[in-house]
Amino acid sequence: MNPLELTLGIMTAVGGFVDISELVFAAKAGSQFGYALIWVFALSTVGIVVFSEMSGRVAIAAKQPVFNLMRHRLGLKLGLVVLAASIVSNLITCAAELGGVALILNYLTGAPYALMAILMTVVLIVSIWVLPFEWIERVYGLLGLFMIVFAVALVAIHPPWDKIAGGFVPHVPHGLSSKELLTFGYFVVAIVSAVMFPYEVYFYSSGGIEEGWKPKDMLTNRITAILGMGLGSLLAIAILSNSAQLFGPANVDPEIPGSAALQAAIPFGKWGLIIALLGMFFAVAGAAVETCLANAYSIAQFFGWSWGRHKQPWEAPRFTLTWIALFAAALAIVLTGVDVMMLVEFAILFSILVLPFTYLPLLLLAGDKQYMGQYANGRLAKGLGWFYFALITLAAVAALPLFIMTSGGNG
Amino acid sequence: MLRKVLPFLLLVPGSCSSSGPEADLQYIKQARSLGAEWALVNEQAAQGRLTQTYVVSMHEWLRDQLQTNAQSLTQPNSPYGAEIRALLAGADNADPAELRSHTDKLKQIEDHLESA
Amino acid sequence: MTPDSPIKLVSELLDLPLFDMEDKYCGIVDDVELEGGAGKPLKLKALLVGPGAYKGRLPGWAMRLVKLVAGDRVVRVPMDKVRSIKSAVHLNCPGRDLGLDKSETAAGKWVPRWGAL
Repeated sequence: MNPLELTLGIMTAVGGFVDISELVFAAKAGSQFGYALIWVFALSTVGIVVFSEMSGRVAIAAKQPVFNLMRHRLGLKLGLVVLAASIVSNLITCAAELGGVALILNYLTGAPYALMAILMTVVLIVSIWVLPFEWIERVYGLLGLFMIVFAVALVAIHPPWDKIAGGFVPHVPHGLSSKELLTFGYFVVAIVSAVMFPYEVYFYSSGGIEEGWKPKDMLTNRITAILGMGLGSLLAIAILSNSAQLFGPANVDPEIPGSAALQAAIPFGKWGLIIALLGMFFAVAGAAVETCLANAYSIAQFFGWSWGRHKQPWEAPRFTLTWIALFAAALAIVLTGVDVMMLVEFAILFSILVLPFTYLPLLLLAGDKQYMGQYANGRLAKGLGWFYFALITLAAVAALPLFIMTSGGNG
Repeated sequence: MLRKVLPFLLLVPGSCSSSGPEADLQYIKQARSLGAEWALVNEQAAQGRLTQTYVVSMHEWLRDQLQTNAQSLTQPNSPYGAEIRALLAGADNADPAELRSHTDKLKQIEDHLESA
Repeated sequence: MTPDSPIKLVSELLDLPLFDMEDKYCGIVDDVELEGGAGKPLKLKALLVGPGAYKGRLPGWAMRLVKLVAGDRVVRVPMDKVRSIKSAVHLNCPGRDLGLDKSETAAGKWVPRWGAL
């Protein structure tokens, strides 16, 4: 295990953890319910760690990415249904990330939103084209570490640490009306969805093959998943806690993504604001890249095309044309003028509905000794895997009714 | 199965409150928050903690969202409609206290509707 | 497993990846061609690779959607070109000899060959 590679991998995962959905929902969760939803972030993070580690292990042991094996396991018809559902979910998520990046550029530069969306699409396409795979990940992931300013801001505003610690204990706040209880339930579902987005495991598993992970990298996979995502989730929890301390008492339930940057501006002034916006920019841009590539991986792997950015773009032409077309489709959605917050809501909703179909085949594959040999799920992975599958299935069933009854969490 | 259940699911909240203050509650909440965000931005800007570019952008987006909210109200001539119009009528760099006087009133209406 | 030994068609052959003799990835086993009929021995004649092979397995509207995204080509890989079948199918000839690279080559005309590090 190369310590430098491992450190870079962990830092990349930390900087790349927060995307536009987590940013929006962490800020809203803190302002509306104080520290009461911290445990949901923590619980969901353990879930994404479990499934990311599993998907990395599948890529190493079976030497094939998740979607190849998923088709073999589910068969053609059901596999196509899962593919179609994940394409829609990932495309909406990609559009939300692209819109989010354009918004953040607008806050930073004042340039028109639509123009920034077009410019960023070109920049993202060029960066994926030019850079080798590990540098695509690293550039956005490492620069996303500017997000640490939110954690530093939390320390600077002297929050009630005992209440933050208490937030890690699963509980439902006392004295909520039935409407508030439904909204709380919606936020639980939304946070689970935002943290455990389907694109995460597709990208992580295919990324493992892109980087040529071998059985000797099993420990790297495990440590990267645990530490990278664990520390990354602390950034999301910092955003939530800042919101509880600064926004809640001021009657602010952030309705636009730019308000989150105020969390760093209040203690640190202009430089805090700029660093926060830069962190948001790189983290959300990285998420746009991941969602697009995850979709392209799924399509190429399902239809048996040559795929991967470890090849030159012209060595996997159908895969290359696919990710470019997906960026164009995401841009088209953004240019319709649909509100970024609306895109985030729909991304969350579609993703939670798709999640059980994403995670069940992965869980079954990772436990199958025929594919995995000695690396098949042990008791802990099996137990946690089935627990989280039950949780996300429950969340998926509750998502649509809660979305409707709470008007998308707006009460 | 879903085709049979979905119209019912969409109908249930609709039949509960298709117009009036109950239906407008989500817009009242959003407007309250948007006004409060506006006040916070102006307060921080006055203390020199924000870049001018950020302030201008935030004003544009906040105003745009408030406008959308105002247009979505089923009862625009209500007291809460008047507060939202008052927020929109103010200058971009309106005094935070002035903005908060309107958001406080929206919060009172919101709390009253939620406790009903 | 060799082409002559018993094969579980659905669980052990369909959807397996294909690699040619140069170890180049050539696609997925999308369907199989059988020879024989009722009352006669069934023999595995060829593997079918490409979305065109889904025709019998999908309803018409789904096939039209697939054709939009992935086309409807199908390449026939005779069983005598198959060297072994394990977790993947390995061929005893280059994939281009069977036309397995045609779609990728056609798409390649649209992709510039410069700029990447």
